Amino acid sequence: MHAVCVWKWYIDCRGYDPPLAQESVVKMAAYPELMANSAEIARALLTAAREGPAVASCTVMGATDGVDIAPGAKMLVYADRQLGDLGGGPLEPAVVAFARDAIPRHVVQTCAFTPSGEPVEGRRAIEAADAIVEILVEVVEPAATLLVVGGGHVGLAVGQLGAMLGMEVAIIDDREDYANEARFPYEAQVICGDFAEELERFPITANTYIVLVSRGHKVDELALRTVAERGAGYVGMIGSKRRTRTVLQHLAEDGVDTDKLDKVFTPIGLDIGAETPEEIAVSVLGEIILVRRGGGAQPMSEYGRLLATTRR
Amino acid sequence: MPHDEVFEAMSTAFDGGAPVALATVAQTLGSTPRKTGAKMLVREDGSFVGTIGGGCGEAEVWQEAMDTLEDGAARMVTVDLTEPVDGEDKICGGIMRIFVEKLEA
Repeated sequence: MHAVCVWKWYIDCRGYDPPLAQESVVKMAAYPELMANSAEIARALLTAAREGPAVASCTVMGATDGVDIAPGAKMLVYADRQLGDLGGGPLEPAVVAFARDAIPRHVVQTCAFTPSGEPVEGRRAIEAADAIVEILVEVVEPAATLLVVGGGHVGLAVGQLGAMLGMEVAIIDDREDYANEARFPYEAQVICGDFAEELERFPITANTYIVLVSRGHKVDELALRTVAERGAGYVGMIGSKRRTRTVLQHLAEDGVDTDKLDKVFTPIGLDIGAETPEEIAVSVLGEIILVRRGGGAQPMSEYGRLLATTRR
Repeated sequence: MPHDEVFEAMSTAFDGGAPVALATVAQTLGSTPRKTGAKMLVREDGSFVGTIGGGCGEAEVWQEAMDTLEDGAARMVTVDLTEPVDGEDKICGGIMRIFVEKLEA
């Protein structure tokens, strides 16, 4: 028995009227072949979630009747390899390609494909398609690390908000008054030591988000010099336009890769008129979420107005 | 962002040789308490960690997870939060589809 196709269902119930079918649970058949590889896949999923590297988990959610694919089948796609399969056929390479592209974008999304592997996007295309397979593509990876350089008022607030968002927070300062466990009433790795030494030692990956909010631009410059070329997912530095421009100039003159410097978010944060350390933290973490998830960084209401204008 | 406690519990279960049922929000329509990717893990003894939307249809998903642990079959559960219950409006007002699967290692 095939599962009801989620997207087809999606379209059917868009109007909310007539009310949804009473059947609220759709059972799927058991697939012995899936059970056979599930131990390895389950272990790999766990490793990806706890240690990385990131993996795009691709699970068949459903298919229209007549498509020969097992709902529930799961395939893990890494940047450089795959584990498990979707039974071969033209669909599989298309899903692998999509999944690989999804990894750096942290995608979690159910996508529709034709059985021959063409992506089907948008309501009209889905309605017109004869056959559809739906795949939940979900990037599984360890919690992102938020590395806060500077334990002052802003660093304190930035770390707190990061912890609230589920990030692994690390805070570095060279002053013991600003880098001690008691100062941070949330889960954080507090590092007290020389900025350059500690930063060089700190592991940085594409899943590390670095916020430079130390006591002065000299320290920020030193810290940026240490981390700029190490492939962090985000580097942001606080400061006025003038100060930050000077810092970037210094580093460029010293031969730091200008492509990397161009990617530094400075002055840091979204323009929401933030004043207090807590508001600045919202502005900074807002920018980090924007980088991670993508988005328009506008009030949602603006989109509604835009749509209304287009329709007119 | 992450599902730390869910994967922590999965690891503990696997280390003890026990299977788990994993419920993942696969798709949402309208206003729902959790978005795509939210997870709840259910153990054989019925205990669970994580949430796919606190109260809003969670009991139904938990029951399906228990059945999945029993027969091994994956399931798709639709939770409709648009219908008022007992004349009261539900807080949410959307529809979620939740995929439930058994995992063991």
